[in-house]
Amino acid sequence: MSKSPLWLRLLAQISAGLVLAFLCLPILAVIPASFNQASFITLPPVAYSGRWYEAFISDPEWRQALFASLHVAVIATIVAVVTGTAAALGLHRLTGRSRGILTGLFLAPMIVPVIVTAVAVYRSALDVGLSGTPLGLGLAHALLALPFVVINVGIALRGVEENWLRAAAGLGAGPWRIFRTVTLPNIAPGIVGGAIFSFITSFDEVVVAVFLAGYANKTLPVKIWESIRLEFTPVVAVAATLMIVLAIVLFAVAQLLSKSGKKQPI
Amino acid sequence: MRFAGSAKNYGAVAALKPTDLEIRDGEFMTLLGPSGSGKTTLLNLAAGYLEPSAGRIFIGERDVTNLPARQRNIGMVFQNYALFPHMSVADNVAYGLTVRRLPKPEIQRRVAAALAMVRLDDYGARRIQELSGGQQQRVALARAIVIEPDVLLMDEPLGALDKQLRRQVQLELRRLHEEHRRTTIYVTHDQEEALVLSDRVAVMRDGSIEQLGTAAELYDEPVNAFVAGFIGESNLLPAKVVSVSGAEARIDIAAFGQSANVPAAKGLKAGDDARLLIRPEHVLIDREPDGLAAEITEVVYLGELTAFNLRLATGETVWGRQITDRSLKRGMSVKASWKRASARIVPKN
Amino acid sequence: MARRHIETLLLLAPAVIFLFLCFVVPLARLFSLAFTDEAGPFATFAILADSDVYRRVMVNTFLVALAVALITVVLAWPVAYILTKLKGFWFAFALYGVLFPFWISVLVRTFSWMILLERNGPLNRFLINLGITDKPLALLFNDTGVMIGMVHVLLPYAILPLYGAMLRIDQRLLMASDGLGAGLFDTFRRVYFPLCLPGLMGGATFVFLLSLGFFITPALLGGSNAITLSMLIASFINDRLAWSLAAAASLVLLVVVLALLAATAKVLPFGKGMYAK
Repeated sequence: MSKSPLWLRLLAQISAGLVLAFLCLPILAVIPASFNQASFITLPPVAYSGRWYEAFISDPEWRQALFASLHVAVIATIVAVVTGTAAALGLHRLTGRSRGILTGLFLAPMIVPVIVTAVAVYRSALDVGLSGTPLGLGLAHALLALPFVVINVGIALRGVEENWLRAAAGLGAGPWRIFRTVTLPNIAPGIVGGAIFSFITSFDEVVVAVFLAGYANKTLPVKIWESIRLEFTPVVAVAATLMIVLAIVLFAVAQLLSKSGKKQPI
Repeated sequence: MRFAGSAKNYGAVAALKPTDLEIRDGEFMTLLGPSGSGKTTLLNLAAGYLEPSAGRIFIGERDVTNLPARQRNIGMVFQNYALFPHMSVADNVAYGLTVRRLPKPEIQRRVAAALAMVRLDDYGARRIQELSGGQQQRVALARAIVIEPDVLLMDEPLGALDKQLRRQVQLELRRLHEEHRRTTIYVTHDQEEALVLSDRVAVMRDGSIEQLGTAAELYDEPVNAFVAGFIGESNLLPAKVVSVSGAEARIDIAAFGQSANVPAAKGLKAGDDARLLIRPEHVLIDREPDGLAAEITEVVYLGELTAFNLRLATGETVWGRQITDRSLKRGMSVKASWKRASARIVPKN
Repeated sequence: MARRHIETLLLLAPAVIFLFLCFVVPLARLFSLAFTDEAGPFATFAILADSDVYRRVMVNTFLVALAVALITVVLAWPVAYILTKLKGFWFAFALYGVLFPFWISVLVRTFSWMILLERNGPLNRFLINLGITDKPLALLFNDTGVMIGMVHVLLPYAILPLYGAMLRIDQRLLMASDGLGAGLFDTFRRVYFPLCLPGLMGGATFVFLLSLGFFITPALLGGSNAITLSMLIASFINDRLAWSLAAAASLVLLVVVLALLAATAKVLPFGKGMYAK
């Protein structure tokens, strides 16, 4: 077709470039801030040093928060992946109304505002004594991660053709064998993608954690949240930098997996 | 409309070699060829959706080479119609008039007239998605015609329709053209469509026009074996040109083990390897006592006509066609001959 | 067949039971608190409705969400457009630029903005050096800060649906418009923009709904000067142990979100690919 005029293309390119810069660059501000020599946050730092990294490592509270985060994220990931994958497989077999209703239920934690979920779960966790435990927070995070697993595995399942299953059955394979040799290999990228997303969802989550973590089980985001409000020292920037690094690593893994699985980037 | 040396290259690839072509006022011109032959490129150059790499393009006396499509006053019917999905039928048809800022009453009048012309009088308020393929096709045509374009361009407009509907719309298009005599360029790869619709047909291959002529000219006097094979059905047999005199050539036909004088295409000279074109309806059975000995290897009943396959003594096979005659049977031995005056010797490419 | 049904039930059961026990029941129990206040079944809602402060919070939440939705769709436009035009490396670069922030914790991103927007922070110094202002601007702990942070966090949610809509537009529609004599502006106004509209509205709705329930970003960037509904809910519990008020406010928030979702789902062809090729 006739090309749009040069000024229009330039305008689009420049403004898109600026918006993308706005989207990505500010996130990186915490990285130089974490290498600050001074005992308060300034950008750019007056002098660089790794002293706040040492402070982070030597402070048992930060270390403990990091481990609590990992602990909770592992629980959340396992629960979300197991229940979510099974749910996606079950949904795939349904049709009509029941499918619509259950899909709505499985995606509901994504639609209900997190603050509402957080308050509701907090109240019930208090009553049953799960508040302040890694299990309680892990279950709550699994709730938030479940929709992503159901969606990811559901998309992967759509790529499994009914005729493959018929062919396997025709060749004499039983249902479990068909699942193991045909279905599972084809939805594995979806499951792994869902798992990675579950992990990062839990690891990054603050709102529910602020209510549910309790004193003994502060996760990294909760510790950051409290520190921002109390002290605002560069050690917070260190913690934030660590979270960025972890996110980038998981993001890269997910992209590699989705490439090998020939899917859209997550 | 006129193309003067128009060409389009993509890098080193020539989608259209330098081409001269004039479409007369009121003429229905079809660009016919296989995919990749450059017919759509030529059409897009006419529309202004592509800029030519070389040459000029004129509509009447206007040099439109560097004008974008919106300033050319053309009406384009796209392959899949490209109807605006968010507008009603009437809004689609009105579009070209609306952007020309015509007064509302005039737009309404002309849209109604255009819809009436394509027999969709009561469909103005419908949504595009509610229409059948054939109806959408007619809306696309109405949208293109309502702006009174200097040239109407159509890119395989019937490609998405089933065969029966296509036949019907072909006749409709022909009726409309006979009524309005609008200069039209029509792209298709369907030879039958081309013959039904066109005043003249340009047969294209590999980015250039092989032959330009009326349907009868293309059928009776193809310039080469490609055109002969593309238009109608044909037997193309290897033959050697012995001598050429005027519009006739003397040839040796290896398949028949005989020599003959037949009408010749231009550009042949003695010694050329060429192709003898015999249309199936010019293959005769048991008409001449000294015909070639042949065996009927296949008989296909087509209703009014019967097609048959002959194997000659040389092993060569030839398709023939004649008014149905129940006496033809597979395995029969017959004497085959051909109408010499209707045959033609053509270059093999 | 029966066996297959049992299998299906067994597959669905864990998630359904989990969601029921950990999500549906807690929500129901919370909302029941809103109606079981000592002062009467609807007393909590009356308190929320009568108080000037609470009304201001709700209006403020609504206005901020509206502003954020508007700003994001405007900013989303060029990025979505350029994504449909780019190829190869630059396409991947731009797409990852959109997707990357998704993966970074909202808390981290908000914290970055706190550093950047500080009174003596880099942005203020930059503006002073440029001579745009001679005194540092108050960018933090007010609605400006909240909006900057929320736009930043929510922008990808507006870009992706818009990009999807633009991608689905058949280029031949634009050629047809061009051929029918429409100039660039007419083609944009009458063809391109209406066809983008489902994606645009979808993205805007999504951003708006997420904004209504936002907590981290307004709490850190707005502070006590720009309280939103979710901050109010949190403070009911943390500062006042007023569970019934928190429950009522939560219910209001959820009902508003669901009502908007239901309303827009009817109007917008979510996922139906109405104009898809």
